[in-house]
Amino acid sequence: MFSVKPPKPTFRCYLPPQQTGIKKPPLTTPKKLEAKLLPGEIVVNEVNFVRKCIASDTSQQDLWGKLVCTNFKISFITDDVMHHVKFQYKSFLLGEHDIPLTCIEQIVTVNDAKRKQKVLISNQKLKFNPTELIIYCKDFRIVRFRFDEAGPESAKKVCLAIAHYSQPADLQLLFGFEYVARVYYNSGNKVNCVDPGGGGLEKKSLCEQTPLFDKPSDWDREIKRTGASEWRVCSINEGYKISPNLSEYFVVPVSLADQDLRQFSQFFTGFRIPLWCWNHSNGSALVRMASIKDVMQQRKLDQRVCAAITRSHPNRSDVYKSDLDKSLPSIQDIQTAFTKLRQASVIDPFEESEERWLSSIENSRWLEYVRCCLKHAAELVYMLEGKRVSVILQEEEDRDLSCLISSLIQVMLDPHFRSIAGFQSLLQKEWVMAGYRFLDRCNHLKKSDKEESPLFLLFLDCVWQLLVQYPAAFEFTETFLTVLGDSLWLSIFSTFLFNCPQQQDEHCREFVKSRSISCGDEKPLRFPPVWDWSQQFSEKDQALFNNPLYVGKSASCVQNGAVKSFKRTKKNYSCTLRGTSSLKNGLLSEPEFMPRRNSLVLRLKADFSHVRDAPDSPSEQFFCEWFSKPADLQGLLLPQLLPSHIKLWKLYFLRWVPEVQINMGGPVTAFHKMSVLADEIEMLQQRLRQYKGVGSLSAGTPEAHQSRMFFRASNLSDSSPMPEYLTSSFPFSPVGNLCKRSILGTPLSKFLGGTKIWISTETLASEAM
Amino acid sequence: MEKSESSESLGSKLSSSRQASIDSLSSSSTSRSDRSFHLRSNTCKSPELRVLGDSNNWADLEEPQLLPNESLKETVKDVTYICPFMGMIRGTLTVTNYRLFFKRVEKDSAFVLDVPLGVISRIEKAGGALSRGEVSYVLVCKDIRNLKFAHKQDTQGRTSVFETVMKLAFPVSHNLQVFAYEYGQIYPENGWKVYDPSAEYKRMGLPNESWRMTRINEHYELCDTYPVMLLVPANIPDEDLKRVATFRAKNRIPVLSWIHPESQATVVRCSQPMVGANGKRSKDDEKYLQAIMDANAQSHKLFIFDARPSVNAVANKTKGGGFESEDAYQNAELVFLDIHNIHVMRESLRKLKEVVYPNIEESHWLSNLESTHWLEHIKLILAGALRIADKVESGKTSVVIHCSDGWDRTAQLTSLAMLMLDGHYRTVRGFQVLIEKEWLTFGHRFQMRIGHGDKNHSDADRSPVFLQFIDCVWQLTRQFPAAFEFNEFFLITILDHLYSCLFGTFLCNSEQQRIKEGLQKKTVSLWSYINSHLEEFLNPLYVNYSHHVLYPVVSMRHLELWVGYYIRWNPRMRLQEPIHHCYKELLLKRAELKKKVEELQRELISRSASSSSERAASPTRSVTPVQTFV
Repeated sequence: MFSVKPPKPTFRCYLPPQQTGIKKPPLTTPKKLEAKLLPGEIVVNEVNFVRKCIASDTSQQDLWGKLVCTNFKISFITDDVMHHVKFQYKSFLLGEHDIPLTCIEQIVTVNDAKRKQKVLISNQKLKFNPTELIIYCKDFRIVRFRFDEAGPESAKKVCLAIAHYSQPADLQLLFGFEYVARVYYNSGNKVNCVDPGGGGLEKKSLCEQTPLFDKPSDWDREIKRTGASEWRVCSINEGYKISPNLSEYFVVPVSLADQDLRQFSQFFTGFRIPLWCWNHSNGSALVRMASIKDVMQQRKLDQRVCAAITRSHPNRSDVYKSDLDKSLPSIQDIQTAFTKLRQASVIDPFEESEERWLSSIENSRWLEYVRCCLKHAAELVYMLEGKRVSVILQEEEDRDLSCLISSLIQVMLDPHFRSIAGFQSLLQKEWVMAGYRFLDRCNHLKKSDKEESPLFLLFLDCVWQLLVQYPAAFEFTETFLTVLGDSLWLSIFSTFLFNCPQQQDEHCREFVKSRSISCGDEKPLRFPPVWDWSQQFSEKDQALFNNPLYVGKSASCVQNGAVKSFKRTKKNYSCTLRGTSSLKNGLLSEPEFMPRRNSLVLRLKADFSHVRDAPDSPSEQFFCEWFSKPADLQGLLLPQLLPSHIKLWKLYFLRWVPEVQINMGGPVTAFHKMSVLADEIEMLQQRLRQYKGVGSLSAGTPEAHQSRMFFRASNLSDSSPMPEYLTSSFPFSPVGNLCKRSILGTPLSKFLGGTKIWISTETLASEAM
Repeated sequence: MEKSESSESLGSKLSSSRQASIDSLSSSSTSRSDRSFHLRSNTCKSPELRVLGDSNNWADLEEPQLLPNESLKETVKDVTYICPFMGMIRGTLTVTNYRLFFKRVEKDSAFVLDVPLGVISRIEKAGGALSRGEVSYVLVCKDIRNLKFAHKQDTQGRTSVFETVMKLAFPVSHNLQVFAYEYGQIYPENGWKVYDPSAEYKRMGLPNESWRMTRINEHYELCDTYPVMLLVPANIPDEDLKRVATFRAKNRIPVLSWIHPESQATVVRCSQPMVGANGKRSKDDEKYLQAIMDANAQSHKLFIFDARPSVNAVANKTKGGGFESEDAYQNAELVFLDIHNIHVMRESLRKLKEVVYPNIEESHWLSNLESTHWLEHIKLILAGALRIADKVESGKTSVVIHCSDGWDRTAQLTSLAMLMLDGHYRTVRGFQVLIEKEWLTFGHRFQMRIGHGDKNHSDADRSPVFLQFIDCVWQLTRQFPAAFEFNEFFLITILDHLYSCLFGTFLCNSEQQRIKEGLQKKTVSLWSYINSHLEEFLNPLYVNYSHHVLYPVVSMRHLELWVGYYIRWNPRMRLQEPIHHCYKELLLKRAELKKKVEELQRELISRSASSSSERAASPTRSVTPVQTFV
């Protein structure tokens, strides 16, 4: 390890290590392994006797099976049982080893005998027979297959098929179209005909509670909910007559007539009329706006817009304008940061990168950007809440950073958006309907490399930071955020598939026409939104989304049961929205300090009120004052913003790294304990309701207890034992999902372990050939 | 227990009055209340209630609430505290024989600084006076902060109050005693009784046929830094022990620290062998280690973990020390754990303090942190302990651990390995036993490493060895949030009283010294205080999975700076364990619901019993499941 010269690489180095340890494929012909296909899914190519690598240093645990490429996914089908994986949540759409084609970031084929490798791109030739296939996934997985015993030609064909089908030439070739047409509009098969907008027939599902904001009534309800009486729904963009990337319905100041708006629209980038996002109970509004193209018109138009917003404010207060392009990192910066973070998290060799871990995280600048977004949003929160002025978010196109900042502001200010249904509606309102370019930013068609940017993930990370700082303020868990992030890569949901609502409508109409599908009442094809979680998970698995600590509205049902002691929920939603004095009212029983009474300890109360860095900044003072009091979880939430407060989201970024997995540890062990307790509370509440309702013990045959919790309290003992399968990666498992080649010390490692794999694919491809 | 109950009720009253005070203070943007280090004890109950009942209590509080036998020494008006976060604060400084108490002058705003003199490491007269005729002093503290004061120079030539502080803060240098000897508080529980060595060994099933208890060190004749009670291999007579002692640094022979309940693999600790430059051998020592291996029938190997980097171990040969050669010790395998010495650690903490206090540099936080190497050292210590725990648990092999003298790194490694292996040590009382046993009785030199009451701040023997251990424990609690009975606050409290000199626990260097000083009679144990206020120190998420071994992931990906300790003086750093509070609220809610359900049940039972008898069978059925929650 010290000054000894490294051994010269010999030809042998390139042979797969530990030949003797390799498990042989089953000699008898395996029973038929069939891929599980969804409606509309077809097998394109397949190859048998493939070995999926499980560990990077030994092949002992490798699995033998068949590798199948369909028009939706890569599927590996095996009879072998994976050891060490005791629990995984199950997706209805994907098997344990499946990778949706839209989730593929890069395909690398290797022939170690010929010392060749190549990054596969659609419609390219492959001049060697691959012995190995490595799939780099957008969700940070790295999956490896070996073809040592497989037919060389079929292996090659499968690789080429994967490359081809993962880079569809056209949007309508994404599997979602085929799938949705088959599931919902196949006239021959009425059985599967479910309304894609809704869930089942039972109680109102989360999906049904989530307004999509594609109807005027959704906006109307939001106006009423926020008390924005001086704002109205505008429908001049019906049929996308004004702007192609605005939604059909949006909200504008009442003082602006449709005629004015039509006239204004031509001066804005993308014909985007300024959009209302949200109203504070003090009357100040949050508005987003694209830039004004015409310099001549700029001042005049600016004044008109601001005047109209001022007129919609009860105090006729000023308007504060925030130029997001100037105050935040660009989408390219964010993409670069993300690439570097991925490099550090899953590509760099684990042990070697340990020593420089902290500085490589810093160098990626990801956490800096997270902090920057939170900080900017917090400052605008101060404008709305503290200064009581309306705020305009201005961005060149109003389709990227505006989505992120406006949603963050609303999460901080409005507890409604911290419930699951509320959060989903927020994403629908500020991202999907506002025209965030999911298609381009996700690069689903692999055609817009320069447009690719993980803005949505950055937003989820910001929300995660808030969730960590205020664990009882959100109805959802970090698992929910992670699964939501993963759902970006399933090309089935309307939510993440299109650049704007108009694009969806247009493509659906075209597709319906070209396939002469009858959609009934002349509606175009409708994709289910991702909010229909029953498409992906069972009820039981969906319970992983529910935060046992949440003290939101769920607590109000207790109050019917005459339990009024739940202190933090006293100030509920209406209070915080009606009047800013809620901050003072937020001064409740200070659980923060209670356990520390009588203490003999040197202790400083968390108190912001005298931080010196910016003594003159009124926003600082506002934050100081807010932080000097206990937080009202159903009121305003502000992020804590010291660099030491911003953490790496380990569940998302490190869940596939086997070395990082803590067995029987991690936050989930606390989550388990809390879930069990929350479940007990639910059971008691149910019992209480039963007794009260019936007034007799004959109601004592308790109906099956419907739990919100994934982990349930056992009826028999007070302490439910912790399941042994819990790990810090739960509910995910790194086993077989991060399998880098162990090629340390060989020239190949330069390619496979180095930065090149992610940064310059072209160079690599040309080098390899 | 009556006493503690009364203090509980006091506490709740305090917390409600505290709210009022915050409310009244919040109107002023310059207000601030630092209610650090107030002893809410039984003796000062009535005055406190009286004072704190008032909403303006902090403004009214001119002087600190004195502890029993605490006495006022000097009070000076017009002192300026130059706060790195808030700027100049004018106030009154009070010095007692235990603490330094500073209170802001303005009536409408409370600011209180309450610092035990024990945390002061050095006092420096600072240059560059603020204005003419002012002198300023910096108090460099052991708990990662510096306090800067200024006041007018006295024209009459009287000495500054800080000259007084210098005397009081370093009593040992002035042939005086630290405050712990005067502090006369009586607690419901006597913490000195927490650790009973024979009970602890008995818990482990010792002595047994392979391990015996020897009385050879009854008068500390074999080794003056070891405890009286030692466990050694049963077949080695006391005579041999004496000869082994001559071959081990400071006579610290290998003795048992822990034994695996099933495999009988043991954790054994000692100091380095006196091999020297010539490679001296000792037949007795070799036979002794063989006996340790033989005591464990499961394995034919013995692992010797030398905590040091191999270079350091080699360098020690010139000073007569060294390490076991594998030639001399058949069947033994030697492993170096690369943990650096006390000087490197001291330097690392110095750098860390620069990075975290007073302010964090925003743009380079992580790389600055990395450059201190603090977490890297933490990682090496934890990695060493993990290897030891794994050898014992999975390898069923006995291990011998030493560094040079066997009282710094060795203590870190044995105690951390035992914490991973044995759930008992993860309870509040078990952890106290662990500290008493592996650190205090086995002679970690607290007096030297901390320098209690000693003005010689640059003493090369000072080092944050124990702080590192507590930091490692905190890292474990982060990875296993449900595995420890105690909370973060417990760990911080231990560290605060490591320096405060209020309790006798961390005074002196060895068991022998403590007995000579009569600490148990003259001072109060920290555990007396903690165990009398247990509720505050408990982790509500604790799950007692008794036979579960913890295997932490020792990677920079998981190690974090303990911000709740190192950055706590920064008012922007919120000190909180939010999940714990939320969980406690849920517990309260459950209790209330249970009560309600039970009441209703009783009501319904009595009603149905009086009204009808034919349905008598069904009520009992429905009652049972509810009671299972209780």
